[in-house]
Amino acid sequence: MPVNSALFAQSLTQWTQGTWFASVPIWVWALVSALIIIYMLALPFGGIATYVERKIAADLQDRIGPNRVGPLGIFQFAADAIKMISKEDYVPPGGDRFLFNIAPVLVVVGSCAGFVALPLGQYLVAGDINIGVFYIMAITTIIAPGILLGSWASENKWSLLGGLRSAAQIVSYEIPVALSIVPIILISGSLQIGEIVKQQGWHDHFWNVFHNPFTFISFFILFVGGLAETNRIPFDLPEAESELVSGFNTEFSGMRFGLYALGEFVDVFVMCALVTSLYLGGWQIPFLELDKFWVTLPSGLIALIHVSFFLGKTFLLVFVVMWLRWTLPRLRVDQLMGLCWKGMVPVALFNILGTAIWMWAFKGQSMLQVVSGLFSGGGGSH
Amino acid sequence: MTNGMKWILLIAELLTVGSALIVAINPNILYSAVFLLFSFLGIAVMYLFAGADFLAGVQVVVYVGGVTILILFAIMLTQWLYRLKLKDIGSKFVVPGVVLALGLVPFLHRGLTQLGKMVQAAPPEKMAEFAASPKTAMIGKALLTNYVLPFEAVTILLLGALVGAVWLARPKA
Amino acid sequence: METGYISAFWFIVVAAITVPLMLGVGALLRPKSIPTRRGTQAYECGEDPIGSAWVKFNIRFYVVAIIFIIFDVEVAAVLPVATQFKEAVLSGSAGFVFAEIFLFVALLVLGLIYCWVRGDLEWVKGVTQNAPRK
Repeated sequence: MPVNSALFAQSLTQWTQGTWFASVPIWVWALVSALIIIYMLALPFGGIATYVERKIAADLQDRIGPNRVGPLGIFQFAADAIKMISKEDYVPPGGDRFLFNIAPVLVVVGSCAGFVALPLGQYLVAGDINIGVFYIMAITTIIAPGILLGSWASENKWSLLGGLRSAAQIVSYEIPVALSIVPIILISGSLQIGEIVKQQGWHDHFWNVFHNPFTFISFFILFVGGLAETNRIPFDLPEAESELVSGFNTEFSGMRFGLYALGEFVDVFVMCALVTSLYLGGWQIPFLELDKFWVTLPSGLIALIHVSFFLGKTFLLVFVVMWLRWTLPRLRVDQLMGLCWKGMVPVALFNILGTAIWMWAFKGQSMLQVVSGLFSGGGGSH
Repeated sequence: MTNGMKWILLIAELLTVGSALIVAINPNILYSAVFLLFSFLGIAVMYLFAGADFLAGVQVVVYVGGVTILILFAIMLTQWLYRLKLKDIGSKFVVPGVVLALGLVPFLHRGLTQLGKMVQAAPPEKMAEFAASPKTAMIGKALLTNYVLPFEAVTILLLGALVGAVWLARPKA
Repeated sequence: METGYISAFWFIVVAAITVPLMLGVGALLRPKSIPTRRGTQAYECGEDPIGSAWVKFNIRFYVVAIIFIIFDVEVAAVLPVATQFKEAVLSGSAGFVFAEIFLFVALLVLGLIYCWVRGDLEWVKGVTQNAPRK
């Protein structure tokens, strides 16, 4: 076993030492964690997010929104699911059946598998992979071929245009996203997300977004790049209802469309969770460290507080994503590409250099550490 | 390696080789591109088993996310390729292809036996320890000590590749 | 290999199985579909589609993908070096690592400037010739 893999399954085996749980092999725990996270976090999130998005849209536009199914319409997503499941299953006869079937699989796998390396709490990681950030970057790239193949297989002009736009957009924005992860790696010296989050404690660097002025800019680049990678407004050109009907998923009906929609929302969640982990301190609680101050708390409660802080920050970002949808107009394709290559990529490169210079000048201290060092009279004490 | 891991490795090997076979013999070139994607993924898993985790990530990011998209774009740009049956033009390459493949066998055999000797010479517990150790830092250290010049040379090479590629794709007057 | 990848394996398997599972549940529940001519047509807002949808599209998508690959490889190459920077800063020998990162960024910027100046980053190429402004 590698030393620095704070594995969900491993901590489970530690907690259950001496009971019959301990005899359960590690791959069973890995399977259980996969089932729990996908079926109890990822997919329900995708379902409920569709309802929440409609409700937020209604609030922002001074409408009521879904209000028929259950109190405040909260069972709307269940009704939608039943509707989608019972819809006619349609494969375009002129299209390509094999590719049409395989495309949603690539999209769902690409978005769900990102959850593996996301630390929900200090020890609650399905697998804190050593190259965690890079792993998420890698596994989410298989979404783009999925969308492109699905759009081609539809044999529909709207679909093809949407798919091409989507693929070009995802690969373009991959660059600013990757470049704005580099400052974090410079700061933390690790690709492991658990380690990166751990360094963002109140008595350490605090949140990376406040580490130095350059990471502050970098945070916005990562977030906006994430919006573009998940095809969200203002970068929803692949779906652009007013020009491409429904874009790359025009010919996908019923549950096939539902899987695309789910995949998109799960991808949004993964993106927001990644931003949270890298820049907003993940499960860290601002201004205090639980295990140092309230050591008397049971470990289960600490884990619960950590998870709720992580999810809280992530959902806040998801809310911003939804809020933007009803605030900003859509970009044009040339503006989209111009923003990426002429705006975000140069600024992201500048941020890398800036962060490196800051690290060099202040011996790796964050802004807060530098300021508190000044007040405590002379030089970095850390 | 536990039994379960052996199964995963077997699945990855079958995925790689099977997909590669389909890439070679499937008449539909778009399917070939799709199975090339799966073959790339299988190779990434094999890198993982070899302990090269960072390389596996690079494999997926560059080949699955980049090269596959590029190949798909290329096939879709020349859309008549989709209808083309490769069998029709491929049959005359079968004999030279087989000869070439057989010619490669001695080299592969030599390489594999050398590798086998190296593996047998190394103590197994040391191998396991190496396989479990993080490689990113190792690669980083190597790039900063022994391989500084190759690293910079590669960067300049990539710059040249960028200039050349956009020059080729630029519409000519 | 790290144990974390066992989780990754199961995540991929479970996610991949989810898709046929959900479609399969639908196949059991829904009424039998009766395809109609309009229903099986490619959707073009009610118009009969003209020609194949597999149309030839602009080469600029390809150019974007090419530029992406080069940048992607460069980013992948700098990641291992970046992980060494913190250690170098703390041990006071950051100059060399910084020089390497600086050179990397400089070369990327050089490539970007080249593409920018030569107009490869322009999405709309030569639109002014086709549609002169009045």
